[in-house]
Amino acid sequence: MYRPATTAAIVLTVASALTLTACGGSGGAGVAADAKQTLTVWAMGTEGEKLADVAKAYEKSHTNITVKVTPVGWDVAHQKLVAAAAAGKLPDVVQMGGTYLGEFADMGALEPIDTKTFKQGDFFPAAWQQASYGGKTYGVPWYVDTRVLYYRTDLAAKAGIKSPPATMGDLQKAAEAYQAKAGTKWGLSIQPGGLDTVQSFYPFLYSAGGEILTQDGKPVVNSPEAVNALKNYGSYFSKGLSEKSVRPGYDVTKDFNNGSVPMFFGGPWVMSLLDDNYPDLKGKWAVAAVPADKSSVSMAGGSSLAISADSEHKPAAKQFISYLADVKGQADWYQRTRDLPANKASWESGELATDANLKIWRRQMETAKTPPSEPKLTEFTSKVDAAIEQVTQGHSAPKAALDKAQSEIEGLTR
Amino acid sequence: MSLLTGSAADGAATAGTRPVTPSKRPTRRTGRRHPLGRRNLHGWLFSTPFLVLFALFMLFPIVATLVMSFTDFGARNVTRPLEAKFVGVDNYVQLFSDDTFRTALFNTAYFVVVGVPLTIVLGLLVAILLNNGIDRARTFFRVGFYAPVVTAIVAVAVVWRFVLDPSDGLVSGLASELGMTAPDFLGSGTWAMPSLIAMAVWRNLGTVMVLFIAGLQAVPTEVREAARLDGAGAWQELRRITVPLLRPTMLYATVITTIGYLNVFEEPFVMTQGGPSNSTLTVSLDMYREGFNFFHMGYASAMAYVLFVVIMGITVLQLRLLKDNTR
Repeated sequence: MYRPATTAAIVLTVASALTLTACGGSGGAGVAADAKQTLTVWAMGTEGEKLADVAKAYEKSHTNITVKVTPVGWDVAHQKLVAAAAAGKLPDVVQMGGTYLGEFADMGALEPIDTKTFKQGDFFPAAWQQASYGGKTYGVPWYVDTRVLYYRTDLAAKAGIKSPPATMGDLQKAAEAYQAKAGTKWGLSIQPGGLDTVQSFYPFLYSAGGEILTQDGKPVVNSPEAVNALKNYGSYFSKGLSEKSVRPGYDVTKDFNNGSVPMFFGGPWVMSLLDDNYPDLKGKWAVAAVPADKSSVSMAGGSSLAISADSEHKPAAKQFISYLADVKGQADWYQRTRDLPANKASWESGELATDANLKIWRRQMETAKTPPSEPKLTEFTSKVDAAIEQVTQGHSAPKAALDKAQSEIEGLTR
Repeated sequence: MSLLTGSAADGAATAGTRPVTPSKRPTRRTGRRHPLGRRNLHGWLFSTPFLVLFALFMLFPIVATLVMSFTDFGARNVTRPLEAKFVGVDNYVQLFSDDTFRTALFNTAYFVVVGVPLTIVLGLLVAILLNNGIDRARTFFRVGFYAPVVTAIVAVAVVWRFVLDPSDGLVSGLASELGMTAPDFLGSGTWAMPSLIAMAVWRNLGTVMVLFIAGLQAVPTEVREAARLDGAGAWQELRRITVPLLRPTMLYATVITTIGYLNVFEEPFVMTQGGPSNSTLTVSLDMYREGFNFFHMGYASAMAYVLFVVIMGITVLQLRLLKDNTR
């Protein structure tokens, strides 16, 4: 009979299929915090590299726990996280970039945090908001970032600019003065288009009183405030104060150093970047708060730490996160990475409390805004990116471009 | 962009060879035996490793993509795949009213219509020169033209970014020596696409050249001699002898280049990210964005199938039109 052949073929096929798709079965109930265990942690970029040192220190004081930190590059982070979530293989503790959280919380991949241990009042409001989705909080704010104005003080003297621009009107005047009197090639570097242009636009948008989404998630990108902000943003390009085409991967600090760009909006990491790469520039630049339109409001970014819903080590994960998020842990983390602490109390002592530049960051962070967590946020902002590009390239008027973005985003929220 | 890889290219290739299978069936059927006879057992066993891998990594994704293209599979279905709603042909209907997708289709067509003839003509030219014109350092030139094919795209991108840089690039440097100003190639909506085409032609010239050199060496010398005795000049020899006899090679080169160019992804991905203002957004890049940036898997799958049908149609058309009529 030929039956055995058929059976053999089927068995072989099924067996290989099973081997190739083998999944680890879940091992039942969670493990207590004081049991011996290995905690897996994924962190991105620089944080991923530096966290391993902290983990080592942590292992010394918590001998029953081994922390395995896997650094993940930002460029592949999103895809890796989605794949891991799909396979139910997210690590116990995962760093969540600000815009990711809504998406993963919506997937049900994250465990809500214990708000009795981690208190809302301890952290910057925007950071807390970024870690929350649908009325629950899924992450503990780890570090924050925002954008402030970097400007060249030596060239400012040449241009006759006495104090950092305090209003949006001053900002444009300063850009013109830099170009006309100090002979800089451009006045201000802001992103003309491409992915995440919106981050460059946020300080203008928020300062003018506009928003992408209201707190209850309604798109409002074509509000009169937003149109005004985009008009202002676009005017830098139509007046030739900002470069209309910027290559992907453009590094503004190079042009800041050689003097062709005297002003730009940058995050906290730019400070150490400038100190490390251009030591000669020290003393020739300073930071200032975002120039005020209706008020001075910048964007908030940063990351939080979340526990995956499938984790079997939730108590230990919680303990590890509290170690990183408490006042001492945050101050230590600042020393290692220069990441701005999300825990407000850690700003009360040391360099963080006294340094003049850091005071600006702190003030900016207290009012900084962030759109509510929303799974489709990146997609929404990509429509705004396109609208900004239309305006900076002179293809469209601000109102028309934002009306289009608004209707596209409304189409997505259906 | 490599011509022989990429899942869509593979998909199209499998589909292209599919019509061959039915012709084999009659020979097997003459036996009229059990389909899984002892004689076939060894065959099945030997092909199991391939069949398993093929089924898992090709057939399953191809079918899954087709099914997905009729659903609204999105980010939240990643953890709950069965909750995806069946939406019929909505994705396809939506595609054709999607401005971005139409731009992407147009850009891809632009890339193919300009890029393919350029690659084929230049490849033929280089092959003829290397086959007849140059005696010294022939290997050197062959390696030179083929090197881009085997170079990693990231390395290529770094070099080309430098070449095309508007402030201190090679082209702008040369232009300013000559007293002209070069355009900002990758930053301008008009110049970005031609720049990418130039880069793609340079990258794929080698493959086409190798094919043509092989084809040229198969052209019998007797035919050439006869033509020369009849008084044919170099141009006539090329038009009346070389090109007609190279027809099968040309067909293959054209089909494979067209498929590769229709799938173009790497060049815009590393050089421009689809910008400025979507002027270099191709169908594959749009698909990648929809699928992996926004996680509209259903929508992206529909796009993949539209691209697949386009590729299939064009390939069949080319096979018809460029068929070797001399036999």
